[in-house]
Amino acid sequence: MKAQTFVNKHKREFSLTLSYIVLLVLVALFAPSFFQLANLRDLALNNAGVLIVACGMTLVILTGEIDISVGSQFAVCTYAAGLLAKNGMSTIALICMVILIGAAMGAVSGILVPRLGIPSIVATLALMVIWRDMLRWGSEGAWVQGLPQNFQWFGLGQTYGEVLVVAIAIGVFAAIAWCLQNLGIGRFFYAVGSDSEAARLAGIDSRSVKLNAFLIMGALTGLAALLNAIRFSIVPGNAGLGLELKAIAAVVVGGTAITGGRGTVAGTLVGVALLGTIGPALTFVGINPFWEKAIQGAIIIAAVVSDVAMTRFSTRQRFRLAN
Amino acid sequence: MSSKTQLAADLKLVAPWHIRAFPNREWILLLVLVLECGVFSLSGDNFLTRSNVFEITRLSVEIGLLALALTPVIITGGIDLSVGSMMGLSAVVLGGLWRDGHWPMPLAVGAVLMLGLVGGLLNGLLIARLGLPPLIVTLGTFSLFRGVAEGLTRGIENYSGFSPGFLFLGQGYLGNVIPAQLIVLIIGAIVCWWCLERTSFGRSLYAIGHSSEGARYAGIPVGRNLLLVYLASGLAASVSAIVYVAHLGQAKSDAGTGFELMAITAVVLGGASIFGGRGTILGTLLGLFAIVVLQNGLRLSRQPAELTGILTGALLLITLVLNRLATFAGVRKGVNTDALEFDVKNSQVAVLSAVILLAALLVAGSNWWLVRSLQSDRRVEQPGKSATTANHRIQVAMMPKAKGDPYFVSCRQGAEEAAKELGIDLLWDGPTDLDPAKQNEVVEAWITKGVDVIAVSVENQAGISTVLRKAREKGIKVLTWDADAERNARDFLINQATPQGIGNTLTDEAARILGKKGEFAVITASLSAANQNEWIKFIRARLAEKYPDLKLVTVQPSEGDRDRAFSETQTVLKVYPNVKLIMAIAAPAVPGAAEAVKQAGRTDVKVTGLSLPNMNKPYVKDGVVESIVLWNTTDLGYLTVYAAQALVSGQLKQGDHELVAGRLGKIEVVDDEVRLGSPFIFNKGNIDRFDF
Repeated sequence: MKAQTFVNKHKREFSLTLSYIVLLVLVALFAPSFFQLANLRDLALNNAGVLIVACGMTLVILTGEIDISVGSQFAVCTYAAGLLAKNGMSTIALICMVILIGAAMGAVSGILVPRLGIPSIVATLALMVIWRDMLRWGSEGAWVQGLPQNFQWFGLGQTYGEVLVVAIAIGVFAAIAWCLQNLGIGRFFYAVGSDSEAARLAGIDSRSVKLNAFLIMGALTGLAALLNAIRFSIVPGNAGLGLELKAIAAVVVGGTAITGGRGTVAGTLVGVALLGTIGPALTFVGINPFWEKAIQGAIIIAAVVSDVAMTRFSTRQRFRLAN
Repeated sequence: MSSKTQLAADLKLVAPWHIRAFPNREWILLLVLVLECGVFSLSGDNFLTRSNVFEITRLSVEIGLLALALTPVIITGGIDLSVGSMMGLSAVVLGGLWRDGHWPMPLAVGAVLMLGLVGGLLNGLLIARLGLPPLIVTLGTFSLFRGVAEGLTRGIENYSGFSPGFLFLGQGYLGNVIPAQLIVLIIGAIVCWWCLERTSFGRSLYAIGHSSEGARYAGIPVGRNLLLVYLASGLAASVSAIVYVAHLGQAKSDAGTGFELMAITAVVLGGASIFGGRGTILGTLLGLFAIVVLQNGLRLSRQPAELTGILTGALLLITLVLNRLATFAGVRKGVNTDALEFDVKNSQVAVLSAVILLAALLVAGSNWWLVRSLQSDRRVEQPGKSATTANHRIQVAMMPKAKGDPYFVSCRQGAEEAAKELGIDLLWDGPTDLDPAKQNEVVEAWITKGVDVIAVSVENQAGISTVLRKAREKGIKVLTWDADAERNARDFLINQATPQGIGNTLTDEAARILGKKGEFAVITASLSAANQNEWIKFIRARLAEKYPDLKLVTVQPSEGDRDRAFSETQTVLKVYPNVKLIMAIAAPAVPGAAEAVKQAGRTDVKVTGLSLPNMNKPYVKDGVVESIVLWNTTDLGYLTVYAAQALVSGQLKQGDHELVAGRLGKIEVVDDEVRLGSPFIFNKGNIDRFDF
């Protein structure tokens, strides 16, 4: 009985996982070499940053807002990480600084949106342009080169570095998943997102909850940018192009309602995995990369349509059972 | 009757005129617009001329059409992110039907309009019938439409050579003054205004935006009206695509990239609420022109393109905050609306006014600074050596394909070095990302500004050649560098290497590394990048001709992103284990590919390609990157400026055989090409000698 309700409650996540498994089976049939260990490791590594950003995005979308400036924030944080490391900042200080810079940018959105009442999509649209063009203006497109030896993989070497990156991503995911379920502040995200007025009457300050969501989003973007940057020995000036769309698509495909109040990071995890698998899988199967964007779009639409179809089907069934 | 009106006025049921005309405080925008015009007429060259005024309107048509159609969408509380992608799809379908399908143009245009409707129908059905959130649906179709456009053309197809009659729509002038496409925008604006303000359908959209449930109870067919709104936005996107194709003279799958964001910015700036229920066509037009004038004015005032983005974003935020504050302040003395009563104290009003005043002062102050910095710029200029006459310094305007690209950054170094040596005024501006439409805009601005030489690295031949020809008609000397326009559109080409030369050198280098036998893969920029596609064409030709045992197994995109090149290379290495060489033909892609090979521990795989020495030094020294092919990019910039100066002063003319260019010495001139020399191969032995 209890298992039944658990499945019912997370139907979206289960159906998504199911379609992911179907995709994997298809890939296994046509291109079994996809499942070699090295490939799975690379997939995990390449999507670790996206997962961290998408987890933060889940929080923001849960409160009913959206942040489309993360790609630009990511670029600024990446560049800042390079500059700071080049000026000889120690690893620990570097981690703290980059996360702080991200959080500061998140705070700007967090103040503009709930405090001043500017719609999040518009405010972050403006910030997206502002951050990226400021970076372009300042850096003039130059890359940061000549980084110290201990920048790549924090000086741990490739094997340990890779483990560390994936471990941090999983840690962030687990922490957010746990907090959302078990902490008061976690439930506040849902409360504010599903009915902001009711939440206010219940004594929740929805503005500071939203500020928190944007702050965490920014800090996580900083973390993701740093973890991505340390995988290389040079830092580019134009990182994170299109990251906001990747993250939002993963969250939405993962079953989080864009209107807020419903969704889990577990769904987001599967969403990231699904969208992250498609690109390489197409190459493995031998489909022309020209169709990749079209297939991604079709998957996003299919995900939301199937969601509606399923909700309608289950309400009809419940109705039938009740009678 | 009159007593009734009187009564209504007494009861304050009828709003005063300024609220009726500007329901969402659009006068703020009018003020901004006036301010912009004031500042730019001081700081910009030839800003307030008739031709510039019309040029501004020409550039605003495509985005304007999208913004007009998005206004009703946003009024209903929806959004349509797919319009830019729909433009791309419409453009390639138009080109395909006309060129490959041999359809007559009017028929092709009709089919494209139908296509726009079909796209709109898809959005509309999903949103209105299934009740899905517009943001998500159109995010999906945003990828879908663009993806289908890329899939259909394989990213490569670039349709051009349209008939002059069709191109007139985008490039011609009515009565030699009014740009032809302006008529389309005016008709669009009138239709939209009439529908929104004068029909019950239009008014119902506001009701839907306020409360779609309430509208449903009031007997408004919400689903049908929403469907119509999205149909209209799809149609507008296809009309916009047709104008775009006629404007640039080419149809490619990347048409309209990013236009949706510009259009949404214009609508929201114009006072429409993204939550729905509020917005006017007048506001949208004011918002549109506020952005376009800002862009144009900054360009004429020699401010960098990045500043445009920053200021547009800031303008959007400031307007929204002001609007927000004014709402609080205005409710008190406002008309009898059903808005919530806010308790606003006098002190709060005073604070608000102070904030508004401060913001205005800030804007004014920064503008003053802008003007001043310009003047001081001019003051700093010292009399040059050879080329300058007593009262006129030569102005050379030079445009890269994309400003932030490290390749062009290094070209700029050389250009500035030469400008300093010659005492020339160098303007360096261009799109921040690859964007053919933006290149045209910048050239138009330079024509208006009246520079002496325009030197362009051309992204799209057919598109820019018309504007360049126009520049030549006005007596401006035109150079192309790095990539060529049509031959009659410029005086000279500064040729660093032909696409064929590049393709051949790359292929020969691959053959040398692999010993004329084996498999290799190419990592390109984006799949629709014109340059790269041309090189790939010549690489394939060279393979077929000279190296039958050398096999190109796959071409993967990197979107000019180092990290994407990294993951694509990882995949390629696993899918094609026999690949022993990765050839990356975009500057950021080579270090990405090199890092992937290095981390995979595949010492048997080598990397080569087209890139800059500095960002590859560590990899070349490691031996991962065997060699990179390039010319000296600083010299390219340097030579371009020298050629520009020689062109103006008459030292370089048709039939010359050499040109003396400063530290480069004598440079060969053949016909209308100034030749830098053939591509250079950087390897472990020589890379330390270069720093760019």
